[in-house]
Amino acid sequence: MMTLVKCIVPLLLFTLLSVLACSAQESPYFVTYDHHMEEPGNLEIEVSSTTDVPRSGQKFYFAPWTELEYGVTARWTSELYLEGQSTWGDSTIFTGWRLENRFRPLKREHWINPVLYLEYENLNEASRIQKEIEGEAPDVSSPNSVLRAEKDRELESKLILSSDTHDWNLAGNFIVAKNFSQSEGVEFGYSFGFSRPLATLASGSNCRFCRENFSAGMEIYGGLGSTLGFGFNDTAQYAAPVFAWLISDNATLRFSPGVGLTHASSPVLFRFGYSYEIPSIGSKLSHLLGGKR
Amino acid sequence: MSRGLILMAICIFALASMMRGQNAFYWPDPTWRAPESAVAKPNPLAQKTWAAAGGKKLFLRNCAECHDRDGNGLVKKHSADLQLPVVQQQSDGTLFWKISNGNTGRGMPSFSKLPELERWQLVLFLRTLKPPADSHAGP
Repeated sequence: MMTLVKCIVPLLLFTLLSVLACSAQESPYFVTYDHHMEEPGNLEIEVSSTTDVPRSGQKFYFAPWTELEYGVTARWTSELYLEGQSTWGDSTIFTGWRLENRFRPLKREHWINPVLYLEYENLNEASRIQKEIEGEAPDVSSPNSVLRAEKDRELESKLILSSDTHDWNLAGNFIVAKNFSQSEGVEFGYSFGFSRPLATLASGSNCRFCRENFSAGMEIYGGLGSTLGFGFNDTAQYAAPVFAWLISDNATLRFSPGVGLTHASSPVLFRFGYSYEIPSIGSKLSHLLGGKR
Repeated sequence: MSRGLILMAICIFALASMMRGQNAFYWPDPTWRAPESAVAKPNPLAQKTWAAAGGKKLFLRNCAECHDRDGNGLVKKHSADLQLPVVQQQSDGTLFWKISNGNTGRGMPSFSKLPELERWQLVLFLRTLKPPADSHAGP
């Protein structure tokens, strides 16, 4: 418990200081979802990765994923994930795909804004992206040849609660997942995040290093066991500062160094992400194919 | 007969003038109304007209895709012509509320992800949108 406090307190202080010292518009979170949906008709292409610093006896891995996020309507966003991983001294494999949908039931902004999330995952147990963490900690010691043979077909739902208050975003996600391939019961997880842009007034110039283009925050996420054993036992828990930089009007760069808080967690998780938004993809494609714009 | 033709020509000319530079397919949503408390909110940047330059940058980044660069709306998007008096006559507080909440049923997303002051900057910039000098804007 003391170790946990020793890790969290400096991280919180560091994040708060960097946030107060300065405040972007794209969410800096990697794991936590807020209530902001993709704008209707826009397609966001994101390339991200998760890398960890392994414990002794474990191997270093690099797990990239590609995310295609499309705004179906102003209240419905759909996403497709393709993911893989490469383990040092082992192999590089494709670990599967995910299809998720987020639906915002309320029309207007409220103090707390709920979003309903439903995802189907067709993965194998070698998946390492750790986009969300539920149940017990993943097996990062077994070889890929063994793990890729174990299917992980899962239906996952989340209740996303998010609030924008005084330029801060506060968000909490509650996860319930059912793996249809294995008898793991129903698994639970959570994530919380807060973030803020480093400046709240836009300058008139087209600067890329202005504070208004940066945002920072913090995420805390982890598993909560399953119906077979609820609680923190053998679960992975992380605290991770998050940073985002709006490098152009359409592109955002994100970074998050996460610290493992339990023995079952990786000591450090590094996440990098680059996203590019294509506005009105439908009319652009139609224009390319010779239609009217 | 000739009087009728002249009258018709005047009407067509007047209508054409009103629509010039505007999205003629824009139809305001009568149910999209800001609450009284929001209508009365003053723009904290009202005296800081220099902040409109930042508002323009934000407008081009977040709004121009649907409302066009000069704010007169795009037919294909059915987006509002922001130069129209029906928009410009609304209070700063109303415009701020509409930017913050969106009108998701009509495809206008919420922009509450922008910091509050940036949304006020957008309102400040919207006030600078004027129809071309030779047109007579009307609702």
